[in-house]
Amino acid sequence: MIATYAPLFMLLFFAAFLASVFYVAATFLGGQKKPNPGKQAPFECGSESSGGRHLKLSVKFYLTAILFVVFDIEAVFVYPWAIHFRALGWLGLAEMLGFLAVLVVALVYVWRKGALEWET
Amino acid sequence: MVALGTIYFWVCALTAVAGALSVVVSKNPIRGAMGLLLLILSVAGLFLALHAQFLAAIQLIVYAGAIVVLFLFVIMLLGPAASTPNDRRGLFARAFGGGLAALCGAAAIALVASAGLAAKHPFPLADVDPSFGGVDAFGSALFADALVPFEVSGALLMVAVVGALAVARGRQGVASLTRSEREVARAATPEPDTAGGAGVYSHEIHAHEEHSS
Amino acid sequence: MNIALALSPLLVVALGALLLMLAEAFSPRQGGLALGAATVLFVGAAVAGGVWMYGIERLPEAASLAPWLLLDRFGLFFDMLLCLGGGLAALLAGGYLVEHGIERGEFYVLILFATLGAMILASSGDAVTLFLGLETMSLGAYAMTAFRRASPRAAEGALKYFLLGSFAAAILIYGFALLYGATGHTDLAGIGATAATARTPLLVVGAVLVIVGVAFKVSAVPFHAWTPDAYEGAPTPATTFMAVAVKAGAFALLLRVLLIALGDASWTSWAAGWPPVVATLAVLTMTVANLIAGRQESVKRMLAYSSIAHAGYALVGVTALMRDPTQAGASVLFYLLSYTVSTAGAFGALILCGSHGREAVSYEDLSGLGRRHPAAALAFSLFLLSLAGIPPTAGFFGKWFVFKAAIDGGLYWLAILGFVNSVIGAYYYLRVMVYMYMREPAAGAPVALPMRSGYVTAALLVSALFVLALGLVPTRAIEVAVRAATLGAG
Repeated sequence: MIATYAPLFMLLFFAAFLASVFYVAATFLGGQKKPNPGKQAPFECGSESSGGRHLKLSVKFYLTAILFVVFDIEAVFVYPWAIHFRALGWLGLAEMLGFLAVLVVALVYVWRKGALEWET
Repeated sequence: MVALGTIYFWVCALTAVAGALSVVVSKNPIRGAMGLLLLILSVAGLFLALHAQFLAAIQLIVYAGAIVVLFLFVIMLLGPAASTPNDRRGLFARAFGGGLAALCGAAAIALVASAGLAAKHPFPLADVDPSFGGVDAFGSALFADALVPFEVSGALLMVAVVGALAVARGRQGVASLTRSEREVARAATPEPDTAGGAGVYSHEIHAHEEHSS
Repeated sequence: MNIALALSPLLVVALGALLLMLAEAFSPRQGGLALGAATVLFVGAAVAGGVWMYGIERLPEAASLAPWLLLDRFGLFFDMLLCLGGGLAALLAGGYLVEHGIERGEFYVLILFATLGAMILASSGDAVTLFLGLETMSLGAYAMTAFRRASPRAAEGALKYFLLGSFAAAILIYGFALLYGATGHTDLAGIGATAATARTPLLVVGAVLVIVGVAFKVSAVPFHAWTPDAYEGAPTPATTFMAVAVKAGAFALLLRVLLIALGDASWTSWAAGWPPVVATLAVLTMTVANLIAGRQESVKRMLAYSSIAHAGYALVGVTALMRDPTQAGASVLFYLLSYTVSTAGAFGALILCGSHGREAVSYEDLSGLGRRHPAAALAFSLFLLSLAGIPPTAGFFGKWFVFKAAIDGGLYWLAILGFVNSVIGAYYYLRVMVYMYMREPAAGAPVALPMRSGYVTAALLVSALFVLALGLVPTRAIEVAVRAATLGAG
């Protein structure tokens, strides 16, 4: 059963293998590491750095991310429809058009509301 | 063949459990998110073992590709203030809740195991066709049988979009300062207010921001 | 074309919501009052469609949608109820959001989609559509709760609501997963058919988890902790929507699950079924909520606890389903109707009492209202009397039918407990009236200035009309409820 997917696993293993080879090679090929406090300190044009490690990001990132997720899910629904397109016929086309129409309205709404613009 | 499948199952299952445990246990939320990623990958592997290829692919595309990224965004959004690893308050409540949850979890495992091991199952588990979870089969199931839930999911996606818009764009207050505006603000202020950590600035900047927008 | 006809209430609301979104996105003015009006119009059209279909002798066949959506009279009743509740909330929003300077068009779109989700939930006969409807409804409600983002109280309420609501949804879906594991069906009828023959531990645990998940959503007592904070933090029209439409949708889900999936005699028996569980929830919900409600100093919070208590009274009727599904089901439907109009009216009256960014919140804010603004006080009193269950109002017959169903089912003790609780409940409703008519505001204290809003007035008039009509002539409505409950069983 699982053997059906052997090529997939070979690809995965090969990718992992290559990545680890590069990773190990990088430590040999790269420069020597001799850490000292001066090197470890964050560099900020000579002035002492202040504040925490994390920056609070704008909520716009979140909005963009969630819009991405929503339209990503929409795209996922299109895959099986496209594969099965001929067998589904006109009804399938109508279904998908209805579904897409709803999300096009969402897209237009988001667009007009200016949520896709970064600087407002 | 059977042995291979069994080994595969156990590798995926144990990795999934390890990932789930690290989500719960790790104090660093980013590490937790990475644990979640591990969990998602191994669940995708389990789906593959069940011939649900399309589901496995979606698991990677949507969950690993989008949801975990979203989690990371939110973790970054909230910053270090959100995680209070040394919070001792409510220790009893947490211990109680954790114990209860563990008890329920153990009971659930016992239940499912007993149902699975019982010889007389209310409905037989038939061997599935290897093409059962493919994109083609999924398409015919989704667009022929499950037409109604498919269209209804459009409403769910829609409400998610509008809700996110309503919540995230409520008011152009301090939370929606962009990075570049911040940098301008930082340059404009002689002494950045560091008391509250990065991201918190004095009132002058509010005035500046409101003035400029 | 039959399917389109059967689906028309859902389609009207869905298309209305889409058109409203486009109109809002392209209209030159920001927000605008017309938006609220349009919202209500669409919702009203859906109600009209539902009512019209109700008049037909035979419902249009929609068997091809059967496992997913059951377009029976039960679903139609809830379509009307939910559209009414959503419409009232939208009208209230038209006054409230403008008056308090937080009007944005998203709110109305959210109301429409959340109502659509609740309608789908009420019509669904399968765990998949049921969950999609539930989440559509809940996501809309979460976003509405968080609508006033700058307010820490709104943020707290929304966070609690979101976390516990998601938790409840997870429990519910886990329960359905176990039911699927035990029976091999996701549709309620299929679950019911297998549940009638074989009872496995898996099935029992699944059923319990589903009931717990629904109990979260209707805010029954051990699972009510999110309710006061969420109701208090949300803008009052959103509170109205949650108290009215979300609760009604959750009750529709509960009734469908209990009648279809667990409707077999082996499950409805007192000794070995769900009735003791639901009865315990009912008793706890009524008693605890009433005792806490009496101690509140905020009227909005008091109304939040009151909505919990009312879920308890409705659960009394749900318990009585064990004997006579039709009569008891009808009593619950009638109760939800009377509760909807009374609660929407009470929150509407509270909205009416505030203006210019200052809301009336505490009892003191309302003192002397009877002298200063007799009309507002009169409206408020009417809805409070209805919530308390005093005779010429809808609330009286709501309680009457529910307790009668309990007595007919042999649950005398439950009916008596319910009656005692409504007497306790009358205390805090009447306390508001005491403040309005018998107290004067302290010298120099800020007093609530009622707003002038056609929207809010219209909502109050509609609610008052329903409260009085149901209170004076309940027969027609109870016939409708009986018909809805009869076909809901099949």
